[in-house]
Amino acid sequence: MAQINSVKSFLILQCTKKAGESVKQGFIKESVGSKIFDKVNLVLMIGFASIMLFPFLNIIALSLNDGVDAARGGIYLWPREFSLDSYKVLFQNEDLLKGFGISILRVVVGTVTGVLCTGLLAYIVSVKHFSGRKFMRLLFVFTMFFSGGLIPTYLLFMKLGLSNTFTVYWLPALFSPFFMLLMASYIQNLPDSIFESARMDGCSELRIYFQILIPMSIPVFAAIAVFSAVGHWNSWFDVLIYNPSGEWDTLQVYLRRLLLEVEAIQQVQDLQLAYSKYRNISPITLRAATTVLVTLPIIFVYPFAQKYFVGGITLGSVKE
Amino acid sequence: MASLSLKQKLRLIKSDTGGDSMNIMPEKGEVVPKSNISSEKKMAGVKRIKNTFLREKQLWLICIPIILWVLLFAYYPMYGLIMAFIDYEPGRAILDSDWVGFKHFIEFFQSPDFWMVLRNTLVISGLGIVFGFPAPILLALLLHELKYTRFKKFVQTVSYLPHFMSWVVVASIVFVTLGNEGVFNQFLMSIGIIDRPVSFLGEGKYFWGVITGADIWKGIGWSSIIYLSAIAGVDSQLYEAGKMDGLGRFGLIWHVIIPGIRPTIVILMILGISGILNAGFEQQLLIGNVQTREYWEVFDTYSYRYGIQLGNYSYATAVGLFKSIIGLILLVGANKFCKKFFDTSVY
Repeated sequence: MAQINSVKSFLILQCTKKAGESVKQGFIKESVGSKIFDKVNLVLMIGFASIMLFPFLNIIALSLNDGVDAARGGIYLWPREFSLDSYKVLFQNEDLLKGFGISILRVVVGTVTGVLCTGLLAYIVSVKHFSGRKFMRLLFVFTMFFSGGLIPTYLLFMKLGLSNTFTVYWLPALFSPFFMLLMASYIQNLPDSIFESARMDGCSELRIYFQILIPMSIPVFAAIAVFSAVGHWNSWFDVLIYNPSGEWDTLQVYLRRLLLEVEAIQQVQDLQLAYSKYRNISPITLRAATTVLVTLPIIFVYPFAQKYFVGGITLGSVKE
Repeated sequence: MASLSLKQKLRLIKSDTGGDSMNIMPEKGEVVPKSNISSEKKMAGVKRIKNTFLREKQLWLICIPIILWVLLFAYYPMYGLIMAFIDYEPGRAILDSDWVGFKHFIEFFQSPDFWMVLRNTLVISGLGIVFGFPAPILLALLLHELKYTRFKKFVQTVSYLPHFMSWVVVASIVFVTLGNEGVFNQFLMSIGIIDRPVSFLGEGKYFWGVITGADIWKGIGWSSIIYLSAIAGVDSQLYEAGKMDGLGRFGLIWHVIIPGIRPTIVILMILGISGILNAGFEQQLLIGNVQTREYWEVFDTYSYRYGIQLGNYSYATAVGLFKSIIGLILLVGANKFCKKFFDTSVY
């Protein structure tokens, strides 16, 4: 039911958008200057879109090119000497596959725990009769403006024995004050009487949260889940400093190592020793192929996710 | 009981605690002994708090682990900031260490690195404000004027994309595009501006340009969303009125749209100015290298280098604390300024 509602509201949103646009156009005859303006604007936007898109296409073309040939440069949108060697090498590389698995594990665990916990917090700070509501809100909002910073946090994690563990990826990210505010602003607009009647019937708060609130707030939970998943997929710095042993290295860290020239050359040499038939890979193509691999999951979920995150950023900004 | 309205609840509590004595304001002419009132009030207060807790037992039980989490992961590191004022050694309790006052701050101000770090931070942020701040506004305005709905949607979708990429991916793209054999060099050579490839990433003098470009490329689309939604909120009657009064396209932009989105611009400007010391962190670490360090070391990376890489925890904490205090002062200052001159403020 809630899903239908969210789809419906999305459709309505689109319709109103279109209606607004059609109203705006028109009823005074356009001048020549206005027409020129439109043409110039179109050209500018085509140029802009190409600048945004070109690097991605370029890196895909590079990753599909022969390594030695690619080092000569001059590859734009299409590979000159087509070769899948870089990808073949990557998929035989156990470090990389393990990194891929850990990245996915991190996204799943981190997103599920983070969204459920932050959602619970958002529910608690929106229960209207709760006496600790303001206190909890302040407790979290304050941390948005002031924090201990990198070094004290680092030392705390070391003290807690979180280094070189998987826990360090999700436990410190359980609650986020920013997501709490976004979710709370949505939850506050839900009719209070539903929760009150559930309480009257003796429903526990946790059950209200899981069985009533979550199904009613699927759009906001989905938006936050997308933000959170992208954040987990993309983060690399915490892996770098909290996992020096490399046991829990994610895909991003693997790519980062390839960005360092010396390491990349070393990696290529190791791979060439291991798989002598791929003599033609080079740091450039290996790097390009890894970049494509790191980017692909996001590109895949992008169309699906887009409807949620665009709603997410303007969520709670307008109250009517 | 929980389903009752607030008024009813208060009435219930009143009747619990003995009715009329809850009337804190005595009616005119009524003489009430002072001591009596305060003691009864106290009793009532204690009872009320107890009742509230009992009624909200479940909620408070859920809160306990949450409070413990936030105290541990958010407030304990704040306590750790004391490290900036002591000579911290790992393995020794913070309170046992020697208090050295502002020694680490003074050491930082007197080191030759201070001016380099300050310069880089201000220049990179300054470039970000001069070029990076107007860019999404311009994009939003142009997108709004675009007539072809499908194409508009396509441009928007494409422009958000880099925001969802990590800095590692963007750095990789920067390396591929701006490297010696990269497309940019090839392009410049083919149109004859340069004869040999320019090492954009290896020479410090190009770094500021590269990082500003990368920042804008990554963030322009995403930042434009907020302006687009502000533009969508401009009253359509104002457009009609403007058109009636003979305003052209530029006139409409200048006299209708820009004044309409001014509050948004001002608020983001305040946030931008107060974040002037946050000149980036991941991008510097990834795109910068040893040769260009003179041009990219900013407060955050400096603190990271001294703290985590060199183990100089107290010094690094002092650098970080200095930065965040200046940031807080700037936020308050910029907010006051904008309240006075633009009538808009963040808080």
